[in-house]
Amino acid sequence: MMGIGKRTLVILSLLAVLFAVLPALGLEGYRLRLLSLVFMWIALAGCWNLMSGYTGYIDFGPVTYFGAGAYATALFMIRLDLPFFVSLVLSGILCAFLAFLIGLATLRIRGAYFAIATFAAAEALKQIVLEGDRVVGFEFFGGSHGLTLPVPPPSEFFYYFLLAFTVLVIGISFYLERSKFGYGLRAIRGSEQGAELSGVPTLSLKIKAYILSSSLIGCIGGMEAYWLTYIIPEDVFNVLRTIQMVIMTLLGGMGTIWGPVIGATFLTLVGEFLGTKFVYDYLILLGIVIIIVILLLPRGIVNLVKSKRGGAQ
Amino acid sequence: MILFLQSLINGILLGGIYAACAAGFSLAFGVMGIVNLSHGDFVMLGAFVTYWLFVLLGWDPFLTLPITLAILFFLGFFLQKLMLNRLTGVPPIMSYLLTFGLHLVLSGLALRTWTADYRTLNTVYTGLNLIVFGLVLPYSRVATFLFAMVLILGLYFLLYRTEVGRAIRATAQDGEMARLMGVRIFRIYAFTFAVSVAITGLAGSLIAQTFVIYPQMGLPFTITAFCVVVLGGLGYVPGTLFGGLILGIFESLSTTYLTAGLSMALTFFLLLIMLLVRPGGIFGKGILE
Repeated sequence: MMGIGKRTLVILSLLAVLFAVLPALGLEGYRLRLLSLVFMWIALAGCWNLMSGYTGYIDFGPVTYFGAGAYATALFMIRLDLPFFVSLVLSGILCAFLAFLIGLATLRIRGAYFAIATFAAAEALKQIVLEGDRVVGFEFFGGSHGLTLPVPPPSEFFYYFLLAFTVLVIGISFYLERSKFGYGLRAIRGSEQGAELSGVPTLSLKIKAYILSSSLIGCIGGMEAYWLTYIIPEDVFNVLRTIQMVIMTLLGGMGTIWGPVIGATFLTLVGEFLGTKFVYDYLILLGIVIIIVILLLPRGIVNLVKSKRGGAQ
Repeated sequence: MILFLQSLINGILLGGIYAACAAGFSLAFGVMGIVNLSHGDFVMLGAFVTYWLFVLLGWDPFLTLPITLAILFFLGFFLQKLMLNRLTGVPPIMSYLLTFGLHLVLSGLALRTWTADYRTLNTVYTGLNLIVFGLVLPYSRVATFLFAMVLILGLYFLLYRTEVGRAIRATAQDGEMARLMGVRIFRIYAFTFAVSVAITGLAGSLIAQTFVIYPQMGLPFTITAFCVVVLGGLGYVPGTLFGGLILGIFESLSTTYLTAGLSMALTFFLLLIMLLVRPGGIFGKGILE
């Protein structure tokens, strides 16, 4: 079992410090933004992994909270003139509350049913944001025109923000490897009935993990809204974001600490390369990459390395 | 009153089409446990086959059905043989992702080849209506509905009255046991997926006359198929007919009395509530995990 050994801790801290001083050493412009994007996807895939990777419940609607966080932050900032960090914290709390409600209902069902239900929740929220104004009769969500946020600080701000979130999510993963909470979640993945019989409060653990993962995703959504300054429902609630979180985690290895990190780094860079070289065929190529990953690496890169090292498992 | 009856009839006509679009989804889930996220793209492909045969060769849309059937049957057969059969024994999430990859490839290729233009099919009988007691019944919609019913009945007969159907149902119940009894399950998988894709394509051919055709039309149909099969019971094929009708009527009534955009949101709420209250569908005959 990979606990947090002293050596790992030292290496990780050094890495974090290295990344923290990079902007001071002259990292800027496109490269800074690309690295920020890599951090964002590591954090997002990591959050998805916290819930789905460890419990085995495939959440197909994390984008619900990404979009909710983005819209909540934008609305707090525009409609109430609150500062960014206050809006962000409030959005995180709002997402946690939303996750509690949705989780309480959906976490009682399993497998394809849970996946479809979470997917439906995301689409329902998107439709409400899109059409809510027209039904109520006054402008609030901005409908399909979207919302424009105040002018953001320079890119370095978001770089540090995302670096901090990446560190936080990796830290939580380490905590899950060792703690009673994490063992409980993995017991659910192994056999939910068995876990329940052994005295693991499965429903409450699942809801806790779901709330944790969702509120963090909501905060990252809020950050992205501020970063891009302009949001529309079709973008922040785009199902493609869900798929990216899932496929990144899966490529790296579900339920592992390094899976989301490796998968997100690899796919973000590949996506960036394909997106700039083949603007029009980007989605087709992404589809082909997904198909190849699933057919050739169904257990993820991390497990591939592990089984090579440890012989047949 | 006339408004209510008219929306009810529109809903029934729409529901029949929804049922035809979703039957294949339920079949693939019931037999192989595949949640096919590229499902709607086969509707799109079927619609385009009909569109091009109509525009280029002047064929009547209903005469194009055998061609759609043949093309999509083989497409489905090879997809299952080459890709999906490799997924047996891995977690079901793999099938969601693989088929989503397939969705990106299919809809992306369609977009590249046929551009994002919105297209409609205008036959000589487009826009002609049958009027009964003040209720408007467009000929093409009625004909489409009848064909959709024939399609579902045909599928029912295939599953419940033929030897292949028996093998398919046996495989759905217990693949390993069916194998021990001498059923060649991988061939059954390939055949089942081919049938699933073919009837979905046929449904696409049918809707080509009444819906707007464009490369990105698939995903909404995938979502509709979700709703229909959850209402009817996931994996329980005869249930899709009722699921389709309920959804069609529900959507039509909520569009008439509320707004169209909200009708989509309400559909998802219906789906969520169904999953929570009665995950086995209205008859409770769906496959539960």
